[in-house]
Amino acid sequence: MCGILAVLGCSDDSQAKRVRVLELSRRLKHRGPDWSGLHQYGDNYLAHQRLAIVDPASGDQPLYNEDKSIVVTVNGEIYNHEELRKQLSNHTFRTECDCDVIAHLYEEHGEGFVDMLDGIFSFVLLDTRDNSFLVARDAIGVTSLYIGYGLDGSVWIASELKGLNDDCEHFETFPPGHLYSSKDREFRRWYNPPWFSEAIPSAPYDPLALRNAFEKAVVKRLMTDVPFGVLLSGGLDSSLVAAITARHLAGTKAAKQWGAKLHSFCVGLKGAPDLRAAKEVADYLGTVHHEFHFTVQDGIDAIEDVIYHIETYDVTTIRASTPMFLMSRKIKSLGVKWVISGEGSDEIFGGYLYFHKAPNKEEFHQETCRKIKALHKYDCLRANKSTYAWGLEARVPFLDKEFINVAMNIDPEYKLIKPEEGRIEKWVLRKAFDDEEHPYLPKHILYRQKEQFSDGVGYSWIDGLKAHAAKHVTDKMMLNAANIFPHNTPNTKEAYYYRMIFERFFPQNSATLTVPGGASVACSTAKAVEWDAAWSNNLDPSGRAALGVHNSAYENQINSAKAAAGPEKIIPKMEVSPLGVAIQS
Amino acid sequence: MCGILAVLGCSDDSQAKRVRVLELSRRLKHRGPDWSGLHQHGDSYLAHQRLAIVDPASGDQPLFNEDKTVAVTVNGEIYNHEELRKQLPNHKFRTGSDCDVIAHLYEEHGENFVDMLDGIFSFVLLDTRDNSFIVARDAIGVTSLYIGWGLDGSVWISSEMKGLNDDCEHFECFPPGHLYSSRERAFRRWYNPPWFSEAIPSAPYDPLALRHAFEKAVIKRLMTDVPFGVLLSGGLDSSLVASITSRYLATTKAAEQWGSKLHSFCVGLEGSPDLKAAKEVADYLGTVHHEFHFTVQDGIDAIEDVIYHIETYDVTTIRASTPMFLMSRKIKSLGVKWVISGEGSDEIFGGYLYFHKAPNKEEFHQETCRKIKALHQYDCLRANKSTFAWGLEARVPFLDKEFINVAMNIDPEWKMIKRDEGRIEKWVLRRAFDDEEKPYLPKHILYRQKEQFSDGVGYSWIDGLKEHAAKHVTDKMMLNAGNIFPHNTPTTKEAYYYRMIFERFFPQNSAVLTVPGGASVACSTAKAVEWDASWSKNLDPSGRAALGVHMSAYDDKANSASKAAAEFEKIIPMEPSHVGVAIQG
Repeated sequence: MCGILAVLGCSDDSQAKRVRVLELSRRLKHRGPDWSGLHQYGDNYLAHQRLAIVDPASGDQPLYNEDKSIVVTVNGEIYNHEELRKQLSNHTFRTECDCDVIAHLYEEHGEGFVDMLDGIFSFVLLDTRDNSFLVARDAIGVTSLYIGYGLDGSVWIASELKGLNDDCEHFETFPPGHLYSSKDREFRRWYNPPWFSEAIPSAPYDPLALRNAFEKAVVKRLMTDVPFGVLLSGGLDSSLVAAITARHLAGTKAAKQWGAKLHSFCVGLKGAPDLRAAKEVADYLGTVHHEFHFTVQDGIDAIEDVIYHIETYDVTTIRASTPMFLMSRKIKSLGVKWVISGEGSDEIFGGYLYFHKAPNKEEFHQETCRKIKALHKYDCLRANKSTYAWGLEARVPFLDKEFINVAMNIDPEYKLIKPEEGRIEKWVLRKAFDDEEHPYLPKHILYRQKEQFSDGVGYSWIDGLKAHAAKHVTDKMMLNAANIFPHNTPNTKEAYYYRMIFERFFPQNSATLTVPGGASVACSTAKAVEWDAAWSNNLDPSGRAALGVHNSAYENQINSAKAAAGPEKIIPKMEVSPLGVAIQS
Repeated sequence: MCGILAVLGCSDDSQAKRVRVLELSRRLKHRGPDWSGLHQHGDSYLAHQRLAIVDPASGDQPLFNEDKTVAVTVNGEIYNHEELRKQLPNHKFRTGSDCDVIAHLYEEHGENFVDMLDGIFSFVLLDTRDNSFIVARDAIGVTSLYIGWGLDGSVWISSEMKGLNDDCEHFECFPPGHLYSSRERAFRRWYNPPWFSEAIPSAPYDPLALRHAFEKAVIKRLMTDVPFGVLLSGGLDSSLVASITSRYLATTKAAEQWGSKLHSFCVGLEGSPDLKAAKEVADYLGTVHHEFHFTVQDGIDAIEDVIYHIETYDVTTIRASTPMFLMSRKIKSLGVKWVISGEGSDEIFGGYLYFHKAPNKEEFHQETCRKIKALHQYDCLRANKSTFAWGLEARVPFLDKEFINVAMNIDPEWKMIKRDEGRIEKWVLRRAFDDEEKPYLPKHILYRQKEQFSDGVGYSWIDGLKEHAAKHVTDKMMLNAGNIFPHNTPTTKEAYYYRMIFERFFPQNSAVLTVPGGASVACSTAKAVEWDASWSKNLDPSGRAALGVHMSAYDDKANSASKAAAEFEKIIPMEPSHVGVAIQG
């Protein structure tokens, strides 16, 4: 993938403007360290910073149709590009690049082609024949994208906020699953899957269908001409991704070029739970495993750079992004250009601890829908920008369009957490990969509960951040918080500390508005906070706050929800539950 | 190698200062994309951005002695580190990094160990026991280094100017071959080779000794734990480096890890002379050869970024840096972390065309000495910063300390260019590698004259730059040049154009003063301009201006040197000349 920047219809075709666009495009250089390109057509500029993953030799951008009348700058991976090429038999392609199909599909189908793309993408397409343009972002928002408007009437598009915030009068997040056409001058949603209405599905749970859909999602993401690896925290999601990748690697083109040994990566403070858990999985799968240790001070020193890169002041996202940001630099330094990762599973299957409190299957399902729709502001943003800060790409098979359709069509009754029946979080996923004959993972890993991400890297990470913020944000500063930051007022010192840094890099009001806010407990949406009255009193946005819920709900060790703030560590308490007959594939 | 930044004794140990140092250190991130470190001791800060080449797994910096009382941040490669380790048997090393010896040598020898280091380096060593520090830069200035002083009494050290220019009241180039000690508060030259006095040496030319010295210089530079390649323009210097590297690669540790196939790289406009010449050499040596084509527009679009990175407004350096800068990005994108390159040969052997006009061997020799001493402001600066802009390291065997001693000890009578005796430029080097039995290069390549670097990438490159500048710098602007830029006043529109960009990035007067100026013809020093009265009238600083000299001196085709210089737009390589008996190895 890459970094894109487009300035459309700015009524200025001077050298000074060209230099300015080049300068702004360089702010996205980390996303595409390998090469850059700029196509200028009158007062339209399409810039590109390339990370070369497919066809490194000839796939430089912008891309064109045959007669160069259509220009495309794109950040993306189109997994079905070979099939699409076959459907365009009368077209001549200039490169082997997977994104080369876009201009040709547009020629063939006009604006209606976007849903034909299976993959992740953000692109700007300029049709020089009538000076119109089209912008689109992938279904869930795996790739990041912003849109802005200049006083000169120009429309700006950038992969990251920093590409346009200084030059636009107003800007905002480009909504995922949408396209913007210069003809309509407005957004239109092209992504219309059945689950989007939030109606409650009724299909029975078919473990093998779910398994096959996910395997397909992983395998199609192994398309590569360069070395890659897997992010492995040792939890269920990343372990499944690693197990499937390891199993199917041998048959891919990637293995022929880079060997059939899978490289896995884990980050943590020394002695962190994730490091231990990941090592166990890596040993089982036989991956070449790399551990990266960081100190709390390393993390604190990186915070400014993290916020500059990920462009949010959301506390949970910053906490979780920092270790990922540090690890990405190390991974990239080993020559690895992309990794496959487990984001999205917790949203699709209701894996967060607060889902234990879902009052019924309807609420449960609707919350998963809301979570998926918000992913682009949270985990997609984190996974995309923490890795791209170092020119590393993250691929997320759980957010495969087809897989989401399968997983979101299951009657949510099956997803409900029922410990008394042996159903812990994400049980439908665990059971789908419970294969007695050819086990993907040992049972105790397949059914293990794990720390929420920021605790997994080491319990002292969040404590260290809070202590650091408490040293540098005074009580007096907090008194004025609401006056200084009327929107999304920080209500902890940690939040205030991050917000100060964010405002220094992105002082515009538009920037503040791109970041989500509102009440939340343990990553819940504001709506789900209503599930438990006690939650609204707790300000800690991490997974720990839900622990009280977890323990008290099933083990009766804690009587009052007040205790939720008490325990400082999540200790996986549940035993591996025997689940009856495993699936025979 | 890496990027270093140190702030020493700034009387401020606040979090704000730490954040500022981290922020400034990030301006050097391109030099060390792999990891970063900051060591703070009271009000002294040692920051580091690492490009991991030896011991990637554990060599993160700063480096320390056993009890951590001595901290070192270093940008360098110490080729004799294994021998030095053996001389320190009672010391325990924390890492396998080649630079780990520095702290221990200091413990053993105090400030006087610098000349024991065989390699290239810039380092800051902080002795926390008495809060003293020393700073040193390698003999010739292969690594870049700047020093600055703050109003608070602090001393600042940075690999690039951009690390300190905004925070220092005054700053300058750190002189190569010198060290700065906090005890003396003054520079002291540690590099004292025989040639430095510019006395005329009298040793007879021994071709085999010269050959062996250079082979040794190349081989010791093959120390690596990561993939590498060779920059091959097809000229004598880079072709010799490539030939020696491919000959000895099989015997190195590098070959075991990365294969014994050498990768070679060449850049040019499509159809350029270098591309053709390099291909011929690559075919002969059997390297895996990579060609990168750029357009004049690509180059012009990069100029701002080039000037930001290389930190000069010197016209020749910018012309030559741009293709190297573009190529470095492509090389890095292939996973290659360092390249070996041919810089320095023209200075040591008087390879520039203007040396044809040297009036006698004394003048010839002294000019080579002056050229070597100035290398850090020209070709070293270019080679170091154009590559490091993309985290690629350039190694330059011609600037090996021992090799320079051998080459500069030869009676300069042998280096004089004497067409009538078949001695073209750099004849002593060519003859040293003229081996009939096991030829390093085919004779016609070994004795071929080649384009000066900026013409080699394509004749339209310099013309394109001049045209572009002429479009954007008006005659009126030139009228005020002397008032706006009283120091090193630009005398051409091209120079004015570069200067405008430079001043935008580096507005301080100190910054302007770091760049050399003065009269020059075809890369000569100001002193050598006196060799020909007509030269002072020609403002074009490229190699072409000397061509007239060249042709007129031996071919009698042109009557007036200055007139011919303006007429000939292309350098046409001369026929290979017969050189008599070749050396038997």
